[in-house]
Amino acid sequence: MKRLTVLFSVMLIAAMLLAACATPAPTEAPAAPAEPAAPAEPEAPAATEAPAAEEPAAGKTVLNVWSFTNEIMTMAIAFEGKHPDVDVVYTMIPMTNGEYQTKLMATLGTDAVPDVVALEAAFVKSYVESDFLADLGDLMPITQELKMYPFVYEVGTDPAGVTKAYSYQATPGALFYRRSLAKEYFGTDDPVEIQALLSDMDKYTAAAAVVKEKSGGNTYMVASNGDFMNLFYANREQPWVVDNKLTVDPMVNKMVETVKLFRDNGYEAKATQWQEGWFAGMNDTLTDAEGNPKKIFSYFLPTWGLPYVLAPNATSADGASTTVGDWAVVEGPLPYQWGGTWMGVMKETKNMDLAKEFVRFCTLDEENLTNWATGVYTNEYLKAIDPAVPEGQYQAAGDFVGSQVVVEKIMAGFDESDLSKFLGGQNSYGGFAAAAPSVNARLMQGSDDAIQRALNDPLNSYLEGTITEEEMWTLWKDAVRNEFPDLIIE
Amino acid sequence: MNRPHLKKEYYGYLFVAPFIIGFLLFGLYPVVHTLGLSFTDTTLMKAESNFIGLKNFQRLFADKTFSTAITNTWELWLMNFIPQIGISMLLALWFTNTRLKIKGGGIWRMLFYMPNLMMPASIAALFFSLFSFYGPVNQFLVRADLQAQAIDYIRSPAMMRGLVVFIQWWMWYGQTTILLMAAITSVSPALYEAALIDGAGTGQIFRYVTLPLIKPVMVFILVTSLVGGMQMFDIPMLLTDGRGSPANSILTNNIMMYMRFRSSQGHIGAASSIGVMVFIMTTVVALLIFYLLREKHDGKEIKA
Repeated sequence: MKRLTVLFSVMLIAAMLLAACATPAPTEAPAAPAEPAAPAEPEAPAATEAPAAEEPAAGKTVLNVWSFTNEIMTMAIAFEGKHPDVDVVYTMIPMTNGEYQTKLMATLGTDAVPDVVALEAAFVKSYVESDFLADLGDLMPITQELKMYPFVYEVGTDPAGVTKAYSYQATPGALFYRRSLAKEYFGTDDPVEIQALLSDMDKYTAAAAVVKEKSGGNTYMVASNGDFMNLFYANREQPWVVDNKLTVDPMVNKMVETVKLFRDNGYEAKATQWQEGWFAGMNDTLTDAEGNPKKIFSYFLPTWGLPYVLAPNATSADGASTTVGDWAVVEGPLPYQWGGTWMGVMKETKNMDLAKEFVRFCTLDEENLTNWATGVYTNEYLKAIDPAVPEGQYQAAGDFVGSQVVVEKIMAGFDESDLSKFLGGQNSYGGFAAAAPSVNARLMQGSDDAIQRALNDPLNSYLEGTITEEEMWTLWKDAVRNEFPDLIIE
Repeated sequence: MNRPHLKKEYYGYLFVAPFIIGFLLFGLYPVVHTLGLSFTDTTLMKAESNFIGLKNFQRLFADKTFSTAITNTWELWLMNFIPQIGISMLLALWFTNTRLKIKGGGIWRMLFYMPNLMMPASIAALFFSLFSFYGPVNQFLVRADLQAQAIDYIRSPAMMRGLVVFIQWWMWYGQTTILLMAAITSVSPALYEAALIDGAGTGQIFRYVTLPLIKPVMVFILVTSLVGGMQMFDIPMLLTDGRGSPANSILTNNIMMYMRFRSSQGHIGAASSIGVMVFIMTTVVALLIFYLLREKHDGKEIKA
């Protein structure tokens, strides 16, 4: 009897253990550290609050929308303004370490699945290639009317030609640099001249040497190795997976070579992307362990990086140090694109027409896109629709939208905008408009995110010098194999 | 009067029914379901799934990462459990010692237990910031001339393992101390008095009176800590990038399982096979502990 009791209690404990194993709860840690080069769109400043969904209002049609930042909430409120009979229940789950993707994946096929989902560049393809999104092909004619950049709907189209997701943004990449430092080291802060100095990777590297020498090692060309990732990945010739085989494009080797060179020569500040040191460089408060102030010359950021990352972090928390007005933007050494948010409708939705209308409103509505880009959606504007809107909820001017019709109409208006003042008078919108048509999604695959994330840790060990380059590739392949058991890896 | 009524003997079943039902629903069912899943190639992104026999397990055993995860989990658990039980025992003995008469026992107990009340997420974030390249630890050590230059601790496998072990120890030693104190105080003082009168020293009292009598509690602590240790997840997950970096040094069983689960396809079949392996491993070791620390009564089992 006693033995039986013992056996039973062991079984019990073990069963509890397995029960816990069987359903890993998604961790929702707002401050979870992210690996460098996570191709994740960062949370907008006010998005750090805990994920929360509002209570649905009585007597209204409820539309459940999930996203990973609070950006789309602004459009959701504007949508409520147009459709007073609709209550958009907005749920924000951060994606710092993949919490959003996990949570969304876990609800697939259950009743908890939302009507409309936001999908980030890193994982939009795996959803577009799956059977879970509804066909939104009937919205296609609007893309012609608004002259949407092809990228905006090509990413949302599956191999069979069915379009399932659209984006409101085009996200070409750029290089942002500090005007005062450019004047000091290169004698000019003029974007045209600086672009000529940095127009390819060799020139950029040569300029890094100049910056190091003239600053006595106190200014770094770039803050983290993560800055380079999207730049090189976007310039590959082949995708990661060709005929179900893991493929390393020469551009990836070039990236490894470049980040190693930058690390070994002290051109890179050894900060970690999306972490304290990386942000500190933006407002000039970076200090090394000895207390010496260090400066960062340039950041590789895409369109959304300006209003969401650079501008909000350009003034230190205590307000003592600011770099506002000291930035300029150029195309940089290589054209690239980075990130972007697509929106799709889940097949199981009970409000198909309304969900479709919501996606249309957010991504393919001229008025909404114009309002979105020009800062019409202020906090007061939103509060007039829904008094319960939180203080920090608004959309500042400057996000680069996906419609050429809208872009052409609003471009001139940006000459005097706050963001142009931020860039020392430069109209960022014009620069982005020049770069946007070159952006393409040819290489994007559902497995990109996992394959690229798997390289971060081995690459960092290699940069530290703890492993050889060969060991780095082996470790990376092991990690990829771990996530894609069916992939052929040589 | 002949009202139908339950015989008193059956009341017991009524009282345990809620637990049994809860156990079957939330304990046994998930176990069986997980076992079933582990023989399939089920993913979250596809509707169909196939029975693939033991292929998940074959892949798992061929995977070097899995042996790394198992070794890591055991090492991280043992490195925190051994000092934990030692220090907790010492503290428990001091605080229950009638001759030392330490004042403010309640306050001490509360202080020991405190770290356990904090969120693992905030603890992990705190330590990550403290030890980052541009963080305060580097600033302090370099400025105090204890270190020539800043070290990227977050990229150092030894440092990160040390941190995980320390945090796990720090969060759980209070719990263990309290359990041991409860066990020691439940030993009848008459036994200690008798031992003292017989001339036993402190060491002998501990070895021959305290230890044998708190053995059931020791077994409980060992097994619960083992179960918790084999499932170590939150701290190593949140301390770095959630992939066990640097260089897989803090990759535990559960992190590996979670990585399968959240991969771009959501391989829950493959994730389940890891869960099943952890289950088998924990059960076998727990049974071994029960066997080795079983009550011995001169070879005769007392009927319970």
